[in-house]
Formats: sequence, structure tokens, C-alpha cells
Amino acid sequence: MPKKDADVIVIGGGIIGTSIAYQLSKRGKKALIIEREDLCTGTSGSCDAYITPHTKKPGFHLGLCLESMKLYKELEEELGDDLEYWQKGGFQPCEDELSFQLVSENAKDLMAGGLEVKMMNIDEFRSYEPNMSPNLVGALHCPSACQINPFKVVMSYARNLKKLGSQIMTNTEVTDLLWEDGKVVGVQTDKGEFYADYVVNATGCWGAQIARMAGLEAPIEPRRGQIIVTEPTSTVIKTTMQSGMYLVIKFHPEKITDERTKRLGSGFCIEQTGDGTILIGFTREFMGYDKSTTLEGIEYIISEGCKYLPGLRDMHVIRTFSGFRPFVADGLPLIGPVDGIPGFIMAAGHEGDGVALSPITGKLVAEMIVEGQPSYNIDAFSPNRFVKQA
Amino acid sequence: MAETNKDVLICRCQEVTLAMIEEAIAEGAFSVDGIKKRTRAGMGLCQGKSCERLVEKIIAEKTGQAPADILPATSRPPVRPIKMGTIEGERNA
Repeated sequence: MPKKDADVIVIGGGIIGTSIAYQLSKRGKKALIIEREDLCTGTSGSCDAYITPHTKKPGFHLGLCLESMKLYKELEEELGDDLEYWQKGGFQPCEDELSFQLVSENAKDLMAGGLEVKMMNIDEFRSYEPNMSPNLVGALHCPSACQINPFKVVMSYARNLKKLGSQIMTNTEVTDLLWEDGKVVGVQTDKGEFYADYVVNATGCWGAQIARMAGLEAPIEPRRGQIIVTEPTSTVIKTTMQSGMYLVIKFHPEKITDERTKRLGSGFCIEQTGDGTILIGFTREFMGYDKSTTLEGIEYIISEGCKYLPGLRDMHVIRTFSGFRPFVADGLPLIGPVDGIPGFIMAAGHEGDGVALSPITGKLVAEMIVEGQPSYNIDAFSPNRFVKQA
Repeated sequence: MAETNKDVLICRCQEVTLAMIEEAIAEGAFSVDGIKKRTRAGMGLCQGKSCERLVEKIIAEKTGQAPADILPATSRPPVRPIKMGTIEGERNA
């Protein structure tokens, strides 16, 4: 192998790639991030900003989210930047008895999994969020839910990892992997060859293409989510909210009669950012890499939004945007080394959990590389579940 | 050239100064979207209608790129702020 350019090459400069590179740098390794466009340009730059443990599957998934939230709490001080971390609590409002019932059942599992949540009737819910519609049935409350600014997190990781001696190359596209004796030893890019002991694939929605270069068929697909942004306003909602309808769509799709919801739906979700704009979402659509926003999608979000929060009718939309979520059919990301492909590590496929799981993913991948194994068992995330047995 | 006031506002909606934009370029921004992500310039009520050209010009000056090569920000609907009730009413009319 020619001279090493870094200890680890991380492909992808989003909230996963920068987190991994930062955690490696903290442990004394030199990382080199290779990013096709600019930092925070893919999913991390076009998403929501909330971290909601109550929407995670109780058990392993929830446990990891809680570990990640602990890390976020310490991160502002550690990185020395304001990341707009804000523990404001979250609600899961329910528009009908069925969703209230499903959310109530899920609440029991969440509590058994160690998460503090409480079911509230509509009056109690509206004592917290008086602008919500009185026609709703009730809501689940989760006091530990929080919000973070993904742009600030990515840029802060970037600043800090550079201070620690690691590097970032933007505008640089990986076109192939480089091999030596059956081991991945670097990447071929449009700006030349780069060598390292390990290559990490943190390219989210584009993870399947890079994995294919390594000979791994990773079933990661882009799933489009459209979101609308309002003008800045005084506080309309104090918490983040994701409707319980999401559970109905997920677990009882046969109960959904509205064609549009079947096609686009994921329920209603909303958050108000520090500067007063409100983000309302979102759709879930398989459209390849088409990043447009559509009138149908926007209308769907607005009609759902107005049902839950009638005051939205008098507010202005200033922008719509869409982003891809890296969807994996079994709902779990691919994190870790791959059997038969030494030197290559996957860290992609977080779908809607990239922001939430960024700190813990960075930490665990860095531990795998530096210490040989992660401090938290993530065998369930192993990409080996997709390795075809010869 | 006269000395430039670094505190001059480039993006009025989000109160982003020339100094903040130059700092973002120094940190690696090379496109209008890159400036936006790092400073919020162009994220306000007017969605960059006032500042986008200025931001392009500053990037061109600082990075030596030709203005025509600088990637513009992604344009998204609506062109002007629109009441949600109007969109909802259209559908249900």
C-alpha cells in the first residue's frame, strides 16, 4: 500500500460521517472525510430536528436512543458550540380512539423499557398545548424529548475534528474502492487516490452504491419526506409533536381508508425552531432520487396540520423542502464491519433516526476501529445480515 | 477600494453580516447553499430574494470562482409566502 493519507477514510460528510470522524479524532486517530458535495448537504441538511425516544421501538432501539441523548447533553460543552440543544418535551397527539388505544398500549412497553411517558386526556394535553384542536382524543407526553440543530451539529463536529488534526475534502466524489490482498485500503476519487487502514461508508441514502463497490448488496433506498416551513412567529407550540396516526399507519395499514394517507402518509409532525419558524411534516414516498416538493404533498401536510392545530390556517408558508431518508426494509441501520470485506465498515441506513443516533453511532464505530469492539452490543445492526452465504 | 464595514448586513431577514459570511467561506463554504447552512443567510421571510446575489458575489470574490460557476440555492415553492388556509381551502372548495 502506498503511503497512508489518514488512519480512517470516512465517505460522507453528514451527521453520521462527521460524528464518526470526530469520535475517531478524539481517540487519537487521523480521519479524512471525503464528501461528494458539501457538509450537511444530503439528509442531514433537509430533515427535522427532534429526538423523540417515545417513537422508538421499546428495547434495543430505544436503549440506543437514550444513550445517544445522554451524549448530546454533554456535546455542547465538549465541542464548545451552541448546538441549540433544547429539552422541551414531546407529545404524540391522537385524533381518534384507535390511535389513542395503540399509543396507550405502546406507552406501557415504553415505560417497561425505562422511559418516562404519560397518557393524557384532551383537557390535560391542552393545558400544556392550548393551541391544539379540542377535537383530538388525547396525547402521550414524553418529557425527555428534545430538539437539536443538525446544521450546527455537523459544522461543529467539522471544526472540532479539524482542530484535532483530521481533514475534510468536499466536492470530491468516490468512484471506486482500492484493494490490496483482498482488503479495502483506500478510495479512488475524481481528485486522486487516498489510502487508509479503514474505509467507512457513511453515505446514508447513497450507501447502497458505495457498498456495491465493496461487493455488498445493502438494501438502502431513498425515501422522500416533504416538509413545510412557516414564517417566524411567537410561540405557538412549546413541544415537538408526532401524531399517533403514525402507529396506525405502521401497524394497522388496513384501517387507513384515505387514499392519500395510504400513498403519502406518516401522520402529522411539528416543531418550532429557536428563531420561531415552524416545521410541519411530512410525507414518506419512494420516488427514487427525485427531490421535488409536490402540490399534493404540501396540501396533504397542510390539511393534516390544520386538523391538529387549527391556528395554522392563518399562518404563512414561506418554503417547502424535501429530503431523502435512508430506508432499510427491516427498519435497522447497517453499522459495523462486513464478513469477507476486511477494511470496510458500514454506517448507513438510519432512515429517520440519523439525527437521534448520530452521537452513539460515531462513538460505537470509533470504538470498533480503535478498541476492536463497541461498548454497546449492536450485533442487530450488523451488515452481515445481508451478506449472502456462499 | 474603501474599507468595507464587516458588520454590514447582507441578509436582513436573518441578520447575517459580511463578517459571518466571510467566516463561513473560510470554513469551507463554496456555494450559496453552503453559506445558508452555515449562517442562515437566505432562510428568512424573503427566502434569499435580497441577499442571494450579494452572497454569490462575496463567494466569487473570496474563492476566485467565476460567478456563473457558483451553485445557486435550491429554489422551492411557494414563490411568495402564502396562507395555509388558502391552500387548504383550495383543496376543499
